[in-house]
Amino acid sequence: MSTSTISIEQAKDALKAEFETLEIKKQILRSKTLESLMANLKILPNEEKAEYGRDINALKGEIVSWVNDAESEDQELGPIDVTAPFDINTPENKRPALLSTKLGSKHPIMIELEYIVDIFSRMGFEAVESRQIDDDYHMFESLNFPEGHPARDDYDTFMTTEGLIAPAHTSTMQNRVLRQYKDNLTNGLPIAVVIPDRVFRNEDVDVTHEHTFHQFEGVYIDKDVNVGNLIATLKAFMSEYFGQEIKAKLQPFYFPFTEPSFEFAIERPESLRKGDTEADMWLELLGCGMIHPNVLKAADIDPTVYTGFAWGCGIERLVMMKNSIEDIRHFQSGKLDFLRQFS
Amino acid sequence: MKFSINWAQHYSNIDLKTWSSDDVVSMIGSQLGAVEEVIKWGPRYDGIVVSRIVSFKKHSNADTLSVCLIDDGGVTKDVKRNEDGFVQVVCGASNVAEDLVVAWIPPGATVPSSVDTDPYVLEAREIRGEVSNGMLASPKELNISEEHEGILEINPDAVGKENTKPGTSFKKLYGLDDLVIDCENKMFTHRPDCFGILGITRELAGINGQQFESPDWYNSPVDLPVVSDLEITSKNEIMDAVPRFMVQVIQDVTVQASSVGVQAALTRVGSRPVNNIVDLSNFYMHLTAQPTHAFDYDKVKTLCSGEVTIFPRMAQKGETLELLNGLTINLSEKDIVIATDKQPIALAGIMGGSQTEVDDTTKSIILECATFDMYTIRRSSMRHGLFTDAVTRFNKGQSPRQNPAILARLVQNITEFAGGSVGDSYDSYEGKDLLYWDPVMCDIDFINSRLGSELTAEQVKGLLVNVEFKVDFDQGQLKISAPFWRRDIELPEDIVEEVGRLYGFDKLPVALPTRVASPTSVNPLMKFKSSIRTMLSQAGATEVLSYSFVSGTLLSSSGQDPNDAYKLSNALSPALEYYRISLTPSLLSKVHQNIRAGHDKFAIFEIGKTHIRSNGVTGENVPNELDMLSLVYVMSDKLTDKSTGATYYEAKHYLDYISSKFNISLTYVPVSSAEGHQIHGPFNQNRSSLIIDAKSGDAIGVIGEYTFTTRKKLKLPEHVAGFEINIAALLKIAGPETSYVAKSRYPHIKQDMTISTNGSSNYSEVVKNVLQAMNELGDSAGYIFDIQPLDIYQKEPESPKQITLRADISHPERTLTTQEVGEFIASVINEVDKKEV
Repeated sequence: MSTSTISIEQAKDALKAEFETLEIKKQILRSKTLESLMANLKILPNEEKAEYGRDINALKGEIVSWVNDAESEDQELGPIDVTAPFDINTPENKRPALLSTKLGSKHPIMIELEYIVDIFSRMGFEAVESRQIDDDYHMFESLNFPEGHPARDDYDTFMTTEGLIAPAHTSTMQNRVLRQYKDNLTNGLPIAVVIPDRVFRNEDVDVTHEHTFHQFEGVYIDKDVNVGNLIATLKAFMSEYFGQEIKAKLQPFYFPFTEPSFEFAIERPESLRKGDTEADMWLELLGCGMIHPNVLKAADIDPTVYTGFAWGCGIERLVMMKNSIEDIRHFQSGKLDFLRQFS
Repeated sequence: MKFSINWAQHYSNIDLKTWSSDDVVSMIGSQLGAVEEVIKWGPRYDGIVVSRIVSFKKHSNADTLSVCLIDDGGVTKDVKRNEDGFVQVVCGASNVAEDLVVAWIPPGATVPSSVDTDPYVLEAREIRGEVSNGMLASPKELNISEEHEGILEINPDAVGKENTKPGTSFKKLYGLDDLVIDCENKMFTHRPDCFGILGITRELAGINGQQFESPDWYNSPVDLPVVSDLEITSKNEIMDAVPRFMVQVIQDVTVQASSVGVQAALTRVGSRPVNNIVDLSNFYMHLTAQPTHAFDYDKVKTLCSGEVTIFPRMAQKGETLELLNGLTINLSEKDIVIATDKQPIALAGIMGGSQTEVDDTTKSIILECATFDMYTIRRSSMRHGLFTDAVTRFNKGQSPRQNPAILARLVQNITEFAGGSVGDSYDSYEGKDLLYWDPVMCDIDFINSRLGSELTAEQVKGLLVNVEFKVDFDQGQLKISAPFWRRDIELPEDIVEEVGRLYGFDKLPVALPTRVASPTSVNPLMKFKSSIRTMLSQAGATEVLSYSFVSGTLLSSSGQDPNDAYKLSNALSPALEYYRISLTPSLLSKVHQNIRAGHDKFAIFEIGKTHIRSNGVTGENVPNELDMLSLVYVMSDKLTDKSTGATYYEAKHYLDYISSKFNISLTYVPVSSAEGHQIHGPFNQNRSSLIIDAKSGDAIGVIGEYTFTTRKKLKLPEHVAGFEINIAALLKIAGPETSYVAKSRYPHIKQDMTISTNGSSNYSEVVKNVLQAMNELGDSAGYIFDIQPLDIYQKEPESPKQITLRADISHPERTLTTQEVGEFIASVINEVDKKEV
């Protein structure tokens, strides 16, 4: 067996040398060297045939990849002057031009997100983007989710092989934002920040579920902040957002990072109502609550002096409702026919 | 968590029947938790009538069928009756008997078990020549249990004679006219007590401003004298994992089916009836949120080396256990098991083992009532993929102080309904079974400042006492003690939640926070992204958002190394396995589909974040995150009206557009093969360049056409090009969007010049030389000038390139002559030509 192995190695060297000299690289596949290897196969004892055959096939595969690489090098378009404004000999009417403004569009999610940030900016909130890869401390621990806490189950997080986390909520930025703006408090200003960005949940995709979607988080901290302030702030935002006075209600909820926690529901604006049952009337929009003292402590803010509220709201659903979009998967589909309907 | 109003009523001192179903749903929804579903059981039994079999005979054409005459009290309309007013029904059950009280589903009524799937409405129809008006129903058809052997036999002694009169509406029996409210589990993550109907009933009373009183047996365990000498030995050496472990032996029980009432009740809250022992254990779990488990005493004995011994311990490596669901699991050292001295017999808090299952042959039982560490239970449940009703409750952290009351009550009920005598028992608890936890001190002002309310201390006390807290006043403070079943009251903030919820958050005064009039800062990067977004969309480009996760194939097709991408360990599919290294491959992957959809010429862009492993971590030890902008310009192969030059220049035109708008000075340097940066992966080196900030010399991106391999693998046309640039770096060098330069009021003179270059200089070098010469030669004369490209001509590939530029020349103080400018331009050409030689 050893003799034939060596001869395959030798054949490979010979083939490589031959390949370099060839003008049309494909011809290597019809090389005499290869043919003689095949001829060897016929005269080998049966028990050696299988292994020898495998070796020849492996060699053939390698040669095919030489050819492919060489061909792609061949077909690679040649050098140009990359510093020039247009190509040589291009007539004036064929020079590079921007496409028609009519064809351009902004992504509907981004349009909405800018609109939301604008409203909050007018209400005195600064904006900070979130991260798309984070650690357990920011995603869970600093938010009062101890290791193994069952509330972690509700988040279906993606993890990297290093144990990093694809944030499942924009709250992953709370600790950072609290620290970044902590000086506001000593200067007599509130911490008022909105955090828009994409978040990730390990769930199967269908018309209403996406593994990647967008949220905006809000935090507000000062002395003497109470639940009534939370309700008023969110109501003021919703009324501005929908362009009409909005009725809202709080439903108790549970989140480890707020105490008390709520689900904030608004009375559907008439344009967004399908029927008139109790369920049609109310729309659960977001989760919110008074920031848990442990979350403030984790950012070295004294919870006996300062209190605050926070919320997190999905954006896709708002955009879908506003525009009667039937399938959440359109958003990240990259389909021009969908995207160009927004401007 | 399924909440049955009828169960609740049975264990409540409050009359729940005065509340409408809407009242209950809105109370739960606004002051307790989210309602997932409201299941009205009553209407499922509409039309079904308690009837008596008057007589029956064999069907003449079918051996197994009987033709029955039934008495429905004459209440059912539109049905054919005989001269005595009785109705004929054909029935296949073997337990048909004279005078049997049964449930009759008349024509026009729906079979209850079919309601959720495919509603089956009965009619009068002929069965082998005999008319059957509807049917006599089995327990399964009535949604009471899985029993389908015979028809339901209504026992007048169990349901009361007055309820078995023919013509009685069937739903009046067994509490079937019930409302079950499915509450969202997530709501009660911190409220283990609310996984029991008792807990929710207590809350409803509190919300309604009424004082709830728990049943006596719940507040203090029933005293049960030991009468059997059947023994058991136990111990608990893992107090951290198992805060309390109790067992109780009952000798000589009779295992049989539960009463129809118990079966129906369990079915309504989602438990499948099994036998009287298991059913009672489940019943108390649904009622109190405390799971318990029953073992067959004699089966356990065969698994012990001597005396009957069971106790909790951590599993050992290599141990296996066959569970009640038939699966055999490999235990981990992190699992708690209940074991004999020889082997594990149950996965603690999750599921019992099949070898010690209580079944028809069981004579004596061991009841286990315990509390387990919620985190350990949760991890074991995840590890083995077992999500049972017991797990749902144990992983919220049940109170160990409710174990004795529930075990005693369960034993009492079992001996009552299944017979048997109370034997030996064990309790590992060393703490005291106090009715209240240590008090939390709380100021009334603290509560009011958090809620924005003006409640008095007396009001707060009233709200809390309604749900069985103990509240005292101590030196101006509220001293609040939570009852033994609550585990969530530790901080004054917990009291705030409790008070706000019971009072009603919707009643709180609402006011915007007061605000200082200082202006709000705008996030510069977000503003910049927004400007770019507007600019590019105005330039006909379409903004795309694509997933942050991509496939390994897309990375390698784009010349990127998957090893340099962060990899998900639990990706939804291989298509979403890696964090993307750059945005370009994602955009390229959207090209083919759009060409197929008929778009011949388009530009798409995305603004997003990317991560590269070799790019290191931040001070917080999380990966560096890059804010990138990518654009791809596409002309399909079908497009006939293409620009004739390389597509590279189309992409460059877009970048030049942005840079001119922001007064950014960029230079382009061909990518050298040594570079090998991941972002360059998809780009063809012959036709791409680094994007350089002219001032600092830093590379901030890459622009170009894509490699043959990338184009082939992603099915891209030949004419495709684009760029990827660090948008944060771009912001650093961006000037204001507009800039103003005063123009000379004297006429401008335009003159063209053609520079011939033998190919060694590129366009930018020629322009640089021209500008340098113009500066040197024209500065002293005070000329103001600008140059624009007019033409680049090359006759044949090897011949010299002719670059024609148009100079625009003026002077701030005087009118220039054509001759003067002509001479100046000639001297510039002369100067430049010297360098070109």
